[in-house]
Amino acid sequence: MNFIKRGFLSITRKKGKSLILLAVIFILGNLISGAISIQQATGNVETNIKERLGAATTVELDYEALDALSEADWEGFEIQDIGVDLIKQIGELSYVKYYDYSMSTYLGSEAIDSYQGDMEEDYIHHGPSMDYMLKGINYAPVLDFEEQKGKLVDGRVFTQEEVDNGTSVAIISKKLAEKNNLHVGDTFTLANAVYTYDNETGEEELVTSRDVVLEVIGLFESQSIREDAEVDPSRGMFDFMDIEYQNTVYVPNEIVISETEYHWQEYMKADEELAEMMEGEEQSFEYYTPLFVLNSPEDSDAFEEEVIPLLPELYTVVSATDQYDSIAGPVESMANLSKYVLIAAVIATVLIIGLVVLLFLRDRKRELGIYLSLGESRSRVVGQILIEVMVVALIGITLSLFSGNFLAGQISNTMMEADHNTSYEEVMYYSQIQTDVTTADVLDSYEVKLNSSYILVFYGIGLLTILLSTAIPLIYIVRLNPKKILM
Amino acid sequence: MILEAKDLNYYYQDGEERRYILKDTSVSFEKGKFYTILGQSGSGKTTLLSLLSALDSPHSGTVLFNEEDIKKIGYEKFRRNHVGIIFQSYNLIPTFTAVENVLIPMSITENEIPDDAMTVAYNLLDYIGIVKNKADRPVNKLSGGEQQRVAIARALATNVELILADEPTGNLDEEMEQEIINIFKKLAHEHGKCVIVVTHSNEIALQSDQAFLLKKGVLSSHE
Repeated sequence: MNFIKRGFLSITRKKGKSLILLAVIFILGNLISGAISIQQATGNVETNIKERLGAATTVELDYEALDALSEADWEGFEIQDIGVDLIKQIGELSYVKYYDYSMSTYLGSEAIDSYQGDMEEDYIHHGPSMDYMLKGINYAPVLDFEEQKGKLVDGRVFTQEEVDNGTSVAIISKKLAEKNNLHVGDTFTLANAVYTYDNETGEEELVTSRDVVLEVIGLFESQSIREDAEVDPSRGMFDFMDIEYQNTVYVPNEIVISETEYHWQEYMKADEELAEMMEGEEQSFEYYTPLFVLNSPEDSDAFEEEVIPLLPELYTVVSATDQYDSIAGPVESMANLSKYVLIAAVIATVLIIGLVVLLFLRDRKRELGIYLSLGESRSRVVGQILIEVMVVALIGITLSLFSGNFLAGQISNTMMEADHNTSYEEVMYYSQIQTDVTTADVLDSYEVKLNSSYILVFYGIGLLTILLSTAIPLIYIVRLNPKKILM
Repeated sequence: MILEAKDLNYYYQDGEERRYILKDTSVSFEKGKFYTILGQSGSGKTTLLSLLSALDSPHSGTVLFNEEDIKKIGYEKFRRNHVGIIFQSYNLIPTFTAVENVLIPMSITENEIPDDAMTVAYNLLDYIGIVKNKADRPVNKLSGGEQQRVAIARALATNVELILADEPTGNLDEEMEQEIINIFKKLAHEHGKCVIVVTHSNEIALQSDQAFLLKKGVLSSHE
């Protein structure tokens, strides 16, 4: 009849009290279990979505900081460019898997037709067409293909020699090629047309134009732009992004620089006022946008910390994962709510179970005094009470493990749907870092699951909370004086 | 001498004044004898018993068990291995049966207990007058006299030589009182235990081998 057996016998013989304790632990356990389930689910969403958003990072002007500058700040202030040397220095950091720096410009064409997708019938041509984005690359295997934005389906990627020499070769989309009956090895012509704009009439006048003849060395297909979102409210945005990508022409950076320089110089010839204003100014046509792909999205913070000190004033680091905050509104608010519920539930459990156990112990004061009068050590008396509470707690927590998880799934889904229907419809994208991940994807990725990590965390937090709530009343036993109780 | 108290002092501090419950009390007890300590309510007899049973400690003085200071033995250990205590209100655990109550000290003591503790407990209860079907009942289903018998069996369960009882018959009728006293006499005279009973009953005192009178904290022999 040692203290362990006494503990078990007490549970079964005092059924009423054991059931009360079980009910209290079960109810509070549901709160804790639900909060942990939601925490785990939101944590998984963050990991999954950030994984999907990728580890792409760029360096660009901090437009918020620019807006905040006063007129006095602007005086004598000159925005510096990000030079190739700095891009290379950043690209050498250990967090970077590979990187590229790119220039882009828009060209038109009389020789080929641009791809317009389902919007073909609605496509109305106003003024000069600039449908083709000439996207310069320095990284020969093409970073967009490495990052699964696009996939090479025919031909080849660039050679380093072609990139370095600025050879007139291009990779275009399969859809653009099909529309114009182009194949690998064919050439096509784009037009670098220079127009002037008449402020009074609002008309544009063609000044000059030169042909840009490029050889098709490869064809790509879009990988990430979704085509399945018929009822998606962001459909229009995806169509726009898709059309722009299908009309992208990958070429070596040198070609973009050359065409930009031509365009600028011809424009200056046509605009005397501007030419006069720019006289004596040093001209540079290299405005690169760098793109760094990190080893893992989790490296974003460390990368940013190391890069910020290297950047010129008013530049900042923008990561694909930054977009998580803007699309994960409902999940984030659920995560915050569950965090507060968890804290409140743990505090409530400590207080309520502590009080219940204390009341039960006061009721059993004489029994405890008897054990002490028989020479039982206080530690074993404490042990007996702990066994009684923890066995009941184990049953209560096990029951609430399933019910709390189930309830959390039901309640959080309903709440997030309601939250999603009233807000968070925006899709954020950046010039170099685009994504098709939306709030709907975040909600789809949210799933309250009964997995081993949840079970472990719940048992850990649940049992520790009960242990803590029992520890306080146990001080009562340590202070008991058997003589005062029994005589 | 199995138990000896030397110059015990116990008092309450009442402001500046000390109110003595026991003052320089010395007394000794032998094995095989049935002792009574007689006194009015508030005379300090329960306090003396609590000091002898190590439920409390004196402000000064010593209690020796087999010539060893019980403070040195350790109060908890002394209660666990060397003394059986019987209370006026029985102090049994109501959720357990009679036999389970007897088994509790057997699991606590460090004294040698036979492997078949359950049989020993049933035999002990039977010897005290509790038959098996009553031994399996929860103690709160037993009469006062039966509960006190269970309390005596519990005190004997660890095979101790010293039995201390605080007004053990205070809640019992005369017939039951005599039966309990007979058990104590039997334990002392036939089993060599030292039985010390605190009581306010002259009748019980008259049946003991030696009686002491406690008056205003001072102990004297009662003839």
